[in-house]
Amino acid sequence: MTTAQITVLKPGLETTVQELPGRIGYLGQGFPISGPFDARSFRLANLLVGNRRDTAALECQFLGPKLRFESAGLIAITGADMRPKLDDTPIPMWTTIAIAAGQTLELSAALTGARSYIAVSGGIATPPVLGSRAVFHMAGVGGSALKRDDVLQLGESDAGGTILHVAQERRPMMAANGIWQIEALAGPNDDWLDPASVDTFFAAEWKVQAKSNRTGIRLTGPEFAFSARALDKDDAHGSHPSNIIDHGYPLGAVNLAGQTPIILVFDSPSTGGFINPFTVASAALWKLGQARPGETLRFCRIDRDQAARLRAEFNAMSSPEVLDRV
Amino acid sequence: MLHDSPKFYPGGDRAIEVEIGDGMDFTVNFIVHRLVAAVREAGIAAIEDIIPELASFQVNYDPDRMTYEDLTAEIGRIHAAVGSGVQGSLPSRLISIPVAYFDPQTTKCIDDYCGTYPEKQPDPELVCAANDLPDRASLMRRHSQTEYWVAALGFWPGLCSLLPLDPQARIVAPKYNPPRTWTPKGAVAIGGALTCIYPDRTPGGYQLIGHTPAPIYDGTQRLFDFRDSPALFKAGDRVRFVPVTLEEYAHVEANVAEGTFRHDIVDYQVFAVDRYLEWSAARSGKAK
Repeated sequence: MTTAQITVLKPGLETTVQELPGRIGYLGQGFPISGPFDARSFRLANLLVGNRRDTAALECQFLGPKLRFESAGLIAITGADMRPKLDDTPIPMWTTIAIAAGQTLELSAALTGARSYIAVSGGIATPPVLGSRAVFHMAGVGGSALKRDDVLQLGESDAGGTILHVAQERRPMMAANGIWQIEALAGPNDDWLDPASVDTFFAAEWKVQAKSNRTGIRLTGPEFAFSARALDKDDAHGSHPSNIIDHGYPLGAVNLAGQTPIILVFDSPSTGGFINPFTVASAALWKLGQARPGETLRFCRIDRDQAARLRAEFNAMSSPEVLDRV
Repeated sequence: MLHDSPKFYPGGDRAIEVEIGDGMDFTVNFIVHRLVAAVREAGIAAIEDIIPELASFQVNYDPDRMTYEDLTAEIGRIHAAVGSGVQGSLPSRLISIPVAYFDPQTTKCIDDYCGTYPEKQPDPELVCAANDLPDRASLMRRHSQTEYWVAALGFWPGLCSLLPLDPQARIVAPKYNPPRTWTPKGAVAIGGALTCIYPDRTPGGYQLIGHTPAPIYDGTQRLFDFRDSPALFKAGDRVRFVPVTLEEYAHVEANVAEGTFRHDIVDYQVFAVDRYLEWSAARSGKAK
């Protein structure tokens, strides 16, 4: 019996292997966490094929890949609608698909959302680097984006072949009219901004710039005004009001370099010398993985208790209970 | 400059910034690392990762195992037990990094930027002017006369922030504005009062003064010194820059290509912090 594998016929725009919880424990040496940008869709894809929900799977960005499966198994596609086809026949997303050896899966450009996930029964079995299979493409940690003719080994599967489905109302909702509501908390450096600018941040509409990717979501919107702490400070912080002595960058932080806010996400720098006045709630990060350039973000201010409720909801919505048997 | 007790700032629902001081020097950074070591030692199960930085550290935690309030209280207790006194010794490796100062690769990168921004003074001259140094040779001498303390790592895998340990070797420089779109892998550069070595070809903002052929990051972990980690440095290591000719540079480069290169690492040394501070104070006094 041959080992299960996938051959890459077309790589797509930037398709990577991702895994949860990501590369944990190496931020202090400069390695970002990595992992899937939309962990909710990622987990549902895994659950649909009978994997543990955090198993390594493929993340496809904006334009999906074309893959040949060299062995029979189960697959599922979730996240952005990339109109998947199996041997040129359209197939549904959000459901378990049984495939035969030699069949070809092709994803196109995303109609809504930005990232799709392809899970395969048994998971992707690339060698872990620093404890994780998650790929940090920019630095080539854990591998890099798929290339044509790459061959991916798959893990052993004990999936029974049950066909499962995620009902429409239990799927992550893509933005209506291109407007996303993003829950965020003030801090760590909100005291470096003028209080009026803190209010402006939560009142304004922010446009996602084209120069956005897994290393940061750049935003266009109103200008910020700074507080005394930013304007009158020890020289060691640097000359611009948004400069601070190099410090750790939280995942989801809204980093202010000059006047351009950049939301720091899964492949972003671990540290740096700019302030982070706000931080996106951990359970809202998946939405940033589906926001497309040109779409609008509105930030909704929440506190830690509300963030805890969102986490519980996020966890429940990426659990086996979400799935129906077909 | 050093806070009486740490200041806590929440970074969303899963991170806390712990600020030890408002300024950047060896003492503040040393206390950061000692407190981080004590927090790690405490084995708090909710802590997922810690990033020690220059004057602060970030704690990533699982808020469903421990609340923000409980965790900050616990770190406060650990700080109170450890205190702000600076004494004792710690193991500290000494790593020598060969540098070709003002070499052709550095010049090419500077020329590339100055082609787009002609008003930018070339980096070596700008750094000389900012530090009252008469010429490049004196800049090279000052930069290579001291050991550096690996104060923090971050921004990019393996990228290090180095603080000069000799107060007479302090060099300051503004950062690029706007930043460079590319920096050669191995570039040695100064920004603020820090030196960094670029582990890879990345954007950057520090003023370039030279280049090392000795890798400080090896993603494939092919070279001997990277068998445990793709990043060479750890916080608390010390670094010395050794000026080399282009001929020696080429020799090291060939060894790296062959896969036989070994870093010059002295790893049996202990760094006596209180004796260092005494020496440093005496050196500062002499400089005045």
